[in-house]
Amino acid sequence: MMTMPVRILVVDDEQHIRNSLAAWFREEGYEVGVAASGRDALAAIARDGTHILLVDIKMPGMDGLELQRKVHELAPDATIIIMTAYASVETAVQALKEGAYDYIVKPFDPEAVSRLVRKAAERYALLAENRALRERIASASPALITGGSPAMTKVIELVEQVAPTDTSVLITGESGTGKELVARLIHARSNRRFGPFVVENCGALAEGLLESELFGHERGAFTGAVGRHRGKVEMANEGTLFLDEIGDVPARVQVDLLRVLQEHEFKRVGGNETIKVDFRLVTATHRDLEAEVASGRFRDDFYFRINVFQIPLPPLRERPGDISALAEHFLTKFSTQMNRRISGFSPDAMAALVGYPWPGNVRELANAIERAVVLCHGEKIEAGHFPFVAPPGSSDHSLATIEEAHIRQVLAACSHNVAQAARELDIDRVTLYNKMKKFGIERP
Amino acid sequence: MNVRLLGLGEVPPKLAEAVLAGLPRSFAGGEIGRLPVALENCYDRTRAQVDASCLIERIPDPEPGWSALGLTGVDLFMPALTYVFGISHLGGRRGIVSWFRLRAEEETAEAQARFTRRITTEVVHELGHGMGLVHCVVPDCAMHRSLWPEGVDLKRPEYCPACLATLASL
Ligand SMILES: [Zn+2]
Ligand SMILES: [Zn+2]
Repeated sequence: MMTMPVRILVVDDEQHIRNSLAAWFREEGYEVGVAASGRDALAAIARDGTHILLVDIKMPGMDGLELQRKVHELAPDATIIIMTAYASVETAVQALKEGAYDYIVKPFDPEAVSRLVRKAAERYALLAENRALRERIASASPALITGGSPAMTKVIELVEQVAPTDTSVLITGESGTGKELVARLIHARSNRRFGPFVVENCGALAEGLLESELFGHERGAFTGAVGRHRGKVEMANEGTLFLDEIGDVPARVQVDLLRVLQEHEFKRVGGNETIKVDFRLVTATHRDLEAEVASGRFRDDFYFRINVFQIPLPPLRERPGDISALAEHFLTKFSTQMNRRISGFSPDAMAALVGYPWPGNVRELANAIERAVVLCHGEKIEAGHFPFVAPPGSSDHSLATIEEAHIRQVLAACSHNVAQAARELDIDRVTLYNKMKKFGIERP
Repeated sequence: MNVRLLGLGEVPPKLAEAVLAGLPRSFAGGEIGRLPVALENCYDRTRAQVDASCLIERIPDPEPGWSALGLTGVDLFMPALTYVFGISHLGGRRGIVSWFRLRAEEETAEAQARFTRRITTEVVHELGHGMGLVHCVVPDCAMHRSLWPEGVDLKRPEYCPACLATLASL
């Protein structure tokens, strides 16, 4: 289980309050102690050490201010957050002057207290280079299964390079190449990884709906709007906003997005309140945006704003060496999910996979493997389990064609090292040479 | 793990059924029941809300292999907090979820579907706490903390691979 080194101490004379706050912070993964008085608190700090203290300002005996002074001597690095009722805000301000980190007024807005403590804790988590948390993010964040092709290695390099910056990233590539996965990876590797990752598919919505989904709306902003709705822009505060199919965004909404990128503030639809936001923008498209700009369908000022750093994703057919690794990955995934014992692919099946051009890219490959796992009742996936393999007799997908394609792919993947390719194909070298001659395959 | 959904006060049967049907496949099964509770015993007049930390104590301890989750439409608070969507006993297999603040902002079929999905996601969230999970950094994991109803929409009613692995090791 994840262990966070950040320790919080809740100091309040009301048992109800300190217990419910302790439960709330434990759910957040913090280590939490409670103390009923200033004396107890000082003992707990001396015994366990504490990073963050939440201190009720009004307590019998030693009050919050006095405790704060003592903590400053005992644990000068500890962060103190003062808890107060409306009536004693003046005392809280005094605590701030004496070095408290911040104060919150009871009862707390969960959003406010969560943010405040996260902010305070992040300093410790980052200082302590929290390995457990980093490993968890790494293990839970989407893995880009690359199969080690140079093209995808380059993609990973670009991600690592841009992730820690706050630069806007445009991810381009055909549909199904995994643009959202790359966006998630950028977020998981960024300094905003503790903040939200918010996705909007801009291609799926009509103009009015898209505007309301992005910027939110107030009650009564349009017929049927019975309550306030927070938009994706607002929810991405302190995190990453991922706008997929950005090429489909109408010009008017482009202007709105450009404004929020420049001014870091916006208004909800039908609202007057100006809301400040701070997010990192990642966008993706399968369109050629430069051409869209040239033809006037896409605003050039907006294009320059979003295209600060571009990550192009290569289609699967341009990296055939990755196909077998991806296929094995999806086979393990789906056979585990469906509780099937399938040991692998027959040579024909693998040849068919490698020889197919994959217009739908990785997504199509995943779907094809999932379908094959459903259909397969033997130990190995056969070529006939794939929808794109024509039944026997059809010349286009003859065994010879598939065999030739497979040999070409494996050779390419092995940089035309015949010995290595023969091992991959599980045939001897002479057989491979003969087959290369038969199909007219020459080494480059 | 089996799930017992317990109606605290009036719960539309269709809603409870939809939530049960929407639980992830990692749960073995479940049933729907009712718990006759006097909500007024946990009601705070000055706040016009129900104290969640009082209400959760009305839920009996489930037998081994079961989690008990109370479902309610009343507005919940915790002492010191203005509101909560739900609470649970960390590792105690008991929790409650309120749909009061998860209600849809629009009167459309999509908004209704969104509403059901929100409740299901928060039920999965509190069940996760009940089994010992803490909050998760993965943005679309059910164990990610959401403070707004719209934030619940960003999650899926499922545990991420890391949380599933943690559950398996608990
Ligand atoms: Zn939670
Ligand atoms: Zn998770």
